[in-house]
Amino acid sequence: MSHTPVSRAPVHNVGGSVRAFKKFSFLGIDRTFLGIVPFLALIGYFFFYPIAVVFNRSIHDSHNHLSISTYKALFSGDYRAAFIGSFELAAYSMAISAVIGAAICVALVKTNGNTKRVISAIAGVLTSTGGIPLAFSFIASFGQEGLVTKALLNIFHWDIYAGAFDIYNFWGILLVYCFFQAPLMVIIFTPAVENLKVEWQEANETLGGSRLQFIRHITIPVLFPAFLSSCLLLFASGFSAYATAAAMSNGTIPLVPLVIGNLVDGNVIAGEANQGDALAMGMIFVSIIVFAFYAVVLRIARKK
Amino acid sequence: MKRGLRIGDRIILIVAGFFFITPFLAAAEYSLRGYGGKGHTFANYTWIFKQIGFSPALFTSLRIAALSVALLLLLMIPTVVYVQLAGRKWARLVEIMCLLPIVIPVVSLAIGAQVAMPKTLQSTSYELCFFYVIICMPYVYRTLNTGLQAISLPTLVEASSSLGATGLKTLILVIVPAIGSATLGAVFITFAISMGEYALAVLLHFHTLTTWATNASQENLYGSVAISVGSLFSIWILLVIFAYVPVIKSALNKKKETVE
Repeated sequence: MSHTPVSRAPVHNVGGSVRAFKKFSFLGIDRTFLGIVPFLALIGYFFFYPIAVVFNRSIHDSHNHLSISTYKALFSGDYRAAFIGSFELAAYSMAISAVIGAAICVALVKTNGNTKRVISAIAGVLTSTGGIPLAFSFIASFGQEGLVTKALLNIFHWDIYAGAFDIYNFWGILLVYCFFQAPLMVIIFTPAVENLKVEWQEANETLGGSRLQFIRHITIPVLFPAFLSSCLLLFASGFSAYATAAAMSNGTIPLVPLVIGNLVDGNVIAGEANQGDALAMGMIFVSIIVFAFYAVVLRIARKK
Repeated sequence: MKRGLRIGDRIILIVAGFFFITPFLAAAEYSLRGYGGKGHTFANYTWIFKQIGFSPALFTSLRIAALSVALLLLLMIPTVVYVQLAGRKWARLVEIMCLLPIVIPVVSLAIGAQVAMPKTLQSTSYELCFFYVIICMPYVYRTLNTGLQAISLPTLVEASSSLGATGLKTLILVIVPAIGSATLGAVFITFAISMGEYALAVLLHFHTLTTWATNASQENLYGSVAISVGSLFSIWILLVIFAYVPVIKSALNKKKETVE
């Protein structure tokens, strides 16, 4: 993921039509604005408008009076538990996946084109289509009757169901999350690892540095900002994912997206009609905070 | 960092490959189990096609995915090209707009869609197309933008217009072929996301392939696993073919050159 578009000098001589087009202006706004109107109209109506409606509903109570009672409810009872659950799931899956994904990245960048292409293709599918197929694949392999469960029991005499683990509970969902978060880490962290230059390693060797010193003084400082920003993306992805958890738990595990799903599906308690909207806004706030950190980390990394 | 694979790297890749492939092989085995877990048959796969709800759900998903792809390309190719050529000063705005759908959780968008969209739109499953366009936009923007930066767009446009082509002709006959692989990438990612999307489909009460699969799991878990394995593997096969398309293309070109 590169975040710096190659800036180009403005193009002036691209045929007369563009030049003529540029001369007009309307209400002080350059006519070139017209070219992105269709784009803005679509994203405005199908993205900003629904979010604005959610926000507006969230700051009204069931009698349509301005109120923050729905937000107060987020800090107690089931809703608080849901936010804590989502935080834990996002944080655990982030930590595990970031380490696994980074290790795979480091090994992967040294392979040749075809291996890399196939692995990044598989990673792409796992992250973008994951959801439902992933959930069922894991129920099938790690469920009570699953092949993996049986193999671990028969070959290693390890009963994964002896402890707290169940494919339908928090730990099961965490396991599945790692299987789409780690590939996501591979995809977003690979460009940073690829930027490590061979020359640096050679320079390190010429100067008599050991491999450990290379990792300690070059690899870690260079990669740290990218690693941190990738972690933030993983956290956001784990925090907001819905499909996998919904398919695996039937909405019984306290996670914010699942609670919202239940509220939307009509299990609304009287007087809490706008609670779902406040929960949705709560998720948006958390995501915005995470992405704000992400932007800060990227900015610091660029300044270096 | 191009250096030979160390033994440690090999171990990491092999262990990772093993861990990532095992669940899918195990799921494939599970999907082939016979009635009551005895023996192995294709019964679960044939069961899928016998279900009355399956083919409507599949076709709904395919139709929505195809329309989302068309709509997204129709909107994004002209916009990104325009921004690079004439609307440079809006580039930052478009880029930020295209990032936002990643930031906002889909569930929040779904709850908004349910209350904000007019009833006429909500009564048809085509509503989903517009939201799939929104959630795919970040990936498509990135892909197209990178593709366009790799070609010398101003030169191409100038050459085309000095030869007398209109703007539309230039777009369709010059620019789109020039960013062929980026367009193909955008098509693939949109199609894959649209086919696999669940949150919006279920929260807006539409019947797509994914919602059908989750409902079917309550009746026959083996069938749901079979459809999951089927969809994952078919997308992988498509993707591997797609990943090799540049390779195949260059191989064909070389062949052509040698023939000529």
